[in-house]
Amino acid sequence: MRSIFILSILFFSQFLCAQTEISGRVVNVKGKPVMGANVFIEGTYNGDTSKEDGSFSFSTKASGERTLLVSFLSFKTTRLPMLVSNMKALNIVLKEDLNALDAVILNAGSFQAGAASKVSVLKPLDIVTTAGSAGNIIAALQTLPGTQVAGESGRLLVRGGEAEETQTYVDGLRVAQPYSASVQNVPSRGRFSPFLFKGISFQTGGYSAEYGEALSGVLLLNTEDEAEQNKTDISLMTVGLGIGNTQKWKNRSLSVNASYINLAPYMLVAPQNLDWNKPAESISGEAVYRQSLKRGLWKTYAAFDASRFDFNRESVELESKERIDLKNNNFYLNTSYLGNFGDRWELNTGLSYGYGTNHINYNTTKINNSENAFHLKLKVSKRFSDHIKLSAGSDLFSSKFDETIEQPEISTFISDFHTNIGAIYTEADILFNKNFALKLGVRGSYNDYLDETRISPRLSMAYKVSNSSQFSFAYGDFTQAPKADYLKYNEELSSEKASHYIVNYQFNKDNRFLRLEAYYKKYRDLVTYNGNENSYLTALQNSGDGYAGGLEVFYRDGSSIKNLEYWVSYSYIDSERKFKNYPVQTTPNFVANHTLSMVTKYWISNLRSQVGLTNTFSSGRPYNNPNQDSFMSSKTKSYNNLSLSWAYLLSKQKILYFSVSNVLGTKNVYGYEYASSADSNGNFRRQAITPTADRFFFVGFFWTISDDKKTNQLDNL
Amino acid sequence: MEKIILILALLFTNLIFSQNNYDEGMAQALELWQNDRPAEASDLFERIAIAEQEEWIPNYYVALVNTTRAFQNLDNKNVEDLVAKAQEALDKELNKDPENPELLVVQALIYTALIANDPMNNGQKLSGKVIQIYEQAEKIDPTNPRVILSKAQFEMGSAKYFGTDTQPICDRIEKSLTLFDTFKSEIAFYPKWGKEQAEQAISQCGK
Repeated sequence: MRSIFILSILFFSQFLCAQTEISGRVVNVKGKPVMGANVFIEGTYNGDTSKEDGSFSFSTKASGERTLLVSFLSFKTTRLPMLVSNMKALNIVLKEDLNALDAVILNAGSFQAGAASKVSVLKPLDIVTTAGSAGNIIAALQTLPGTQVAGESGRLLVRGGEAEETQTYVDGLRVAQPYSASVQNVPSRGRFSPFLFKGISFQTGGYSAEYGEALSGVLLLNTEDEAEQNKTDISLMTVGLGIGNTQKWKNRSLSVNASYINLAPYMLVAPQNLDWNKPAESISGEAVYRQSLKRGLWKTYAAFDASRFDFNRESVELESKERIDLKNNNFYLNTSYLGNFGDRWELNTGLSYGYGTNHINYNTTKINNSENAFHLKLKVSKRFSDHIKLSAGSDLFSSKFDETIEQPEISTFISDFHTNIGAIYTEADILFNKNFALKLGVRGSYNDYLDETRISPRLSMAYKVSNSSQFSFAYGDFTQAPKADYLKYNEELSSEKASHYIVNYQFNKDNRFLRLEAYYKKYRDLVTYNGNENSYLTALQNSGDGYAGGLEVFYRDGSSIKNLEYWVSYSYIDSERKFKNYPVQTTPNFVANHTLSMVTKYWISNLRSQVGLTNTFSSGRPYNNPNQDSFMSSKTKSYNNLSLSWAYLLSKQKILYFSVSNVLGTKNVYGYEYASSADSNGNFRRQAITPTADRFFFVGFFWTISDDKKTNQLDNL
Repeated sequence: MEKIILILALLFTNLIFSQNNYDEGMAQALELWQNDRPAEASDLFERIAIAEQEEWIPNYYVALVNTTRAFQNLDNKNVEDLVAKAQEALDKELNKDPENPELLVVQALIYTALIANDPMNNGQKLSGKVIQIYEQAEKIDPTNPRVILSKAQFEMGSAKYFGTDTQPICDRIEKSLTLFDTFKSEIAFYPKWGKEQAEQAISQCGK
């Protein structure tokens, strides 16, 4: 009887339990109401969605000490343990989630291309679909501000710096030979296939203490962490063919790529400005292996390529043409591990090895050289809170260079050097709040070949002024050992130095992105020499200096006109330097004061086609005319290149691609080469440095075969 | 003895109570969704999901409601937030049961929303993934009508665009219709959607 009594009390008590009214308001740190927050008592269904004024109210049968949860997308879930009876007229302040996508970003000097679209300037596919880039990562980056048109070298020239001043890193590890082999005035390409990288960050100044040995810029390429699917890619091109395959297993995947390029058939149809004995031919392969482990990800990337070409070209020095024959072999291996350990510790370590050999014949002169380069990296970071992250790391760069220059019956010159550079760095990332961030770092390095120690401070900060705009500032000191061409002759040199000061403003709203950047860069201790050419005889010393200052504008719009995406970049640069054998400080021959690029991509749905147009203009570049008294006082005419591309989707997996560079056939001149001595009339003869072909045509067919067997079998059922 | 009865009774009433509570809560959330109040529906599903950790259905609906909202808000910057919300809820359940075909369908729908929102950048990247997820789901349960239908509809889009034969796809939509009639689940509030879409799709197959 008693138990029935209790039972019925129990049963009824559940119904009779007093209802408590809960109410309050949700606001953000600025006191503004937050609409759409989910406010509820943990473990019950009782709750409410906050209204436009931030208010909420609901009733609950819960009593005693319970936890009130407030969740909202970009805010941290707030937990408020308290007595239910006290949950009245609450004022709940939501703290911002500092990891959310819209927090302020330190980005003075940098361009991101990656999946996190809110901060991306370029998307991964842009590399392939930019007209004129022909799948070359470097060519696509040359449409961004801060770079120079460098048709004769094909390399990245950043803000008044030479090509060597920009270093390339794959998964955080240095690539010693990032460009395909080439000789003077024949453009090279970036070695890397754009399809293997999920993210590209191009930094034209003010970069983190993690990166050293670069005076002007760093290009950071990150391979895909995970393969999308099993597939085979086949490409047939007018210049060669390629095949790729990806296999995916549960925790690992392997992608391999191989390609064979031969320009011979193309040359038959479209003759070039060079007279080829053996058109450019190369065979290359790449492989990426990824393995996800319990605590982290292990990736290995390897690339091999062998290329050769042989041509004759007009020489300003000789009556007859000069013959150049080049054979290059290159191997790059990189293995890295990124792991997360408990309590927000992160470890990033890896090793890279690059091996390159060149066999070059200039007429009868034989040059053989080889470079072995290692990079060993270890970096540890610890996030102490959402506000503070500290990292520290070390690098060991080791490189060995050997060269033999043989002039039959005249001389044989052997040079070699071996450098080891050890560096340590530490950096603090401080996020004061969602609107203000600071990064402070310092890097110390020791170079055993030059026997010198360098300390380089780095600082960057960003302040968000509104939801869509922010200012950033960066300062840094950068050092870099002189290039191999100098080091092989002289070990008394010291590192070259640069200091960067950058101010950046950016505005980003509804798929429109505006970025303005002004910078000033001061160079010190640049290498100089006497005489016409750098050699072991010519007093090499660090007595040069220089500066670069400029203003850059980038605007990208993907929403104003349906199906049209375009970006415009403009760079103004004022730069002078005294280096090499320059008698005075002046604007070097690779710097054009104004550069304007426009890239457009238009998707025509009816035609299943994407049409791309890229136009690049740059003002004239200085060159030195020895027939005139003053040094570097002449200027070339301006440069213009309009490229067109057409990608047609034959089916979901087959693409036909067509492109032409320099559609208008503009006769572009990069500069002039002058004879080293005057002819009988007292005149120095000259020869224009021009593109290897005025126009370049490309037709390719790309076919992806994905693992669809299961579909087919089921279709037959 | 009395104590045991008491404990049993207590357990029992609570069990009934909790079950009723769950049913009522879910019914109420579904009703909110039907009455075009998806934000509140999603919030209620979320509350239920936190209270009933062993049930996967509430988080399934959090994901489905927000994915549906994403499809209705294409070309709008909210898409990313909605997709993030859906993915977060879905991940909680996929981590517990990565082989649940209903969860896999929602995962494919989330990717499809991203493709629809930015075809130029996500099309190539995610299309293969979507197909792969559907294939996986179909292998796990070839009789699930939502798997068959969603996959067919995804393929229909590209088949129409490229002008390839849609008949095999229509046949599979037809097959999904028969599966909708026979598909049974013992689980309360198990997903039921799809039959109307299938009927509508089949009507456009020229039948």
